[in-house]
Amino acid sequence: MIPPWTWGPATGGPQTPYGLGKLTLIAVVVATLGLVAGCGGEPRSETLVTVVFKHARLFGDDPIPRLVAAFEARHPGIRVKTEALGSGPDEQHQFFVINLEGSLGRGSGPGFDVMMMDVIWVPEFARAGWLLDLTSSLAPGELDAHFPAAAAAAIFNGRVWALPWNFNVGLLYYRKDLLARAGLEAPRTDEELVRAVRIVQARERDPKLDGYLWQGKQSESLTCNALEALWASGTTLLDHSGRVFPDGARAEAALARMRSWIDTGISPAWVSAADEELTRRPFGDGHAIFLRNWFYAMDLFDEPGSAVLGKVGIAPLPQRTPGVPAPGSTGGSLLGVSRATRHPDAAIALARFLAGEEAQRVLAGGSVLPTRMALYHDPALVAKRPHMPLFHDIARVARSRPVTPAYLMLSTSLQPEVSAVIVGVKSPARAVADARRQLEYALSGLE
Amino acid sequence: MTLRERAERRAALCFVAPALVTLAALTAGPALWVFWLSLRQRMPVFGIDYFAGFAHYAFLATDARFWSAARVTVIFTILSVALELLFGVAVALALRGQRVGRRSALALLLLPWALPSVVTARLFEWLYHPAAGLVNVVLGARLNWLGDPSLALPALVLADVWRTMPFVALFCYARLLTIPTAVYEAAAVDGAAWIATLRWITLPLLAPVLLVTLLFRTLDALRAFDLMFVLTGGGPAGMTETLTVYAYRSLFQTLRIGFGSAIGVVVFALVMLVAAAYLRVLRRQESAA
Repeated sequence: MIPPWTWGPATGGPQTPYGLGKLTLIAVVVATLGLVAGCGGEPRSETLVTVVFKHARLFGDDPIPRLVAAFEARHPGIRVKTEALGSGPDEQHQFFVINLEGSLGRGSGPGFDVMMMDVIWVPEFARAGWLLDLTSSLAPGELDAHFPAAAAAAIFNGRVWALPWNFNVGLLYYRKDLLARAGLEAPRTDEELVRAVRIVQARERDPKLDGYLWQGKQSESLTCNALEALWASGTTLLDHSGRVFPDGARAEAALARMRSWIDTGISPAWVSAADEELTRRPFGDGHAIFLRNWFYAMDLFDEPGSAVLGKVGIAPLPQRTPGVPAPGSTGGSLLGVSRATRHPDAAIALARFLAGEEAQRVLAGGSVLPTRMALYHDPALVAKRPHMPLFHDIARVARSRPVTPAYLMLSTSLQPEVSAVIVGVKSPARAVADARRQLEYALSGLE
Repeated sequence: MTLRERAERRAALCFVAPALVTLAALTAGPALWVFWLSLRQRMPVFGIDYFAGFAHYAFLATDARFWSAARVTVIFTILSVALELLFGVAVALALRGQRVGRRSALALLLLPWALPSVVTARLFEWLYHPAAGLVNVVLGARLNWLGDPSLALPALVLADVWRTMPFVALFCYARLLTIPTAVYEAAAVDGAAWIATLRWITLPLLAPVLLVTLLFRTLDALRAFDLMFVLTGGGPAGMTETLTVYAYRSLFQTLRIGFGSAIGVVVFALVMLVAAAYLRVLRRQESAA
């Protein structure tokens, strides 16, 4: 199960071992052919180039083989070999790090050319020198067709290192039917959300009906929820000058707000151990009024046989203070090219094709959400997924998690501290101070 | 020492040399390498690599997260090993007393031990689910097993006991089978009660095997990783984060090679200390026997 903050739910697939032998063989054959051709003095117009695409499995009916076939048909000189990664983002990250770092300076290359990366890895990989700078290979304004938050994740130090490929945004799901029965609209602020929970719970008299579900398990999902809380309080985790918790008082208020959801019974205490799936299921079974989750959940609520079929509405996350925006954080993946690739042109062509409108339309026809804004109003797609125009408005104002090569350090140091506030063993002030101390040691000495 | 003794000694050294060299290359070498890494500040992503001396160890000495992880590791080890031993011996005794279906009981017993631990963790994730989980349904409660700071560690201990108790039970059962029945008949003739037989015959005869399983289980528990990694991610509030989880996060997730190695060295030292203590007790027992 791939946690959905990456790019959507997926069944864990077996990892294909990287076929070094086969690739070497192909390389040898290609080289020999070239040599023979050279000796014969016949100029060969095309040499067959093999590009390896390393990717996580996409959920459901895998569209990648079709896309690759379409690409090969258009580029007769290029063959694409696809290789699936391990099932979890941690394993995938570890795989990339070991292979990319290990191949630097050895001249052998990491064994793949194009890679699918989680949004939070791009600055790290770029900083480490593992990615090819794509800036000069792109048409001017090529990233403009993507959501601003999706494009932001591709840029580090003013250069483009990857192409946005698919997208996820945090948002509020609500039970249209329950709110309508109580004569309520979708809540826009905390105050309205709390009121709606109280009124609906009093009306329905269902002891199993929880109020507001979100993800409090000590994991990357908690970081996303915490960032959204920080933004809704008008502050952030890392400012432009690299300061951690630039506004301590607002940060404390943000954490206190998360705790208060549980304290006041608006959220059940068990959200402190819940990730996306553990909250998606009870809501999907009709046991909650509100749910913070990613885009991906909507397709599952809309499946035939779903207990909440046609009863789920979507809205932006509630604002803490009216007027202060409460953007959802973004997830998803991008396509990058290894700096050690031997076929940069072919690899870039593949990445651009896959991130292009045509390929993203195919992806969007399945269960993946595209990063290209125009597709959210594409009539054929909207007919299939009617919620896409609403997603567009929410995604337009979404915010990417801090774009920094030290992101994972930031996130893993933050998680236990926020978790401590949520379960009530630390005060927000203490947690902010402790997280600050950890991060200052971890980040000391980095540019 | 005579000339001949010296020659024999030299020959003996030649004979054990391959084993020594192999062991050194496979264990001592990497261990020393990790220790060397722990003295460096090395972060490949940032191109940082310099000698830092004992700076990481100095930070660890005052690092609340490290001490919390150390405490969690020790508590987890003591609780889970004690319960495993208790249930393991009990199950072994029950198995010996069983007349029919012993073979299928053994097969069933092996099942938890044979499951990959990640599968076990996923299983328990749903068993512990606060709303729909079997545990709460059976108890008729709505306990927040993995999200409550006081319940999360006990929940993990229970999962670990379920998984590894069969290991202890099988070892003990095998030993029980070799205790001659004559010993028990003699005790019965002397009018020993059940509890006295257990205290003065069964347990003393089990002791050497128990010590060995204790050693295995303790070393394993000190390095506990997969259950907490999958079930709680070390949470809530880091209350189930063991030293190995902390080391993994530092090494592989955030690529602080030097810092993560320092935690690894501490775990290594801890495990070696415990192993040395056990071996001492074992040796004393052997010389007493």
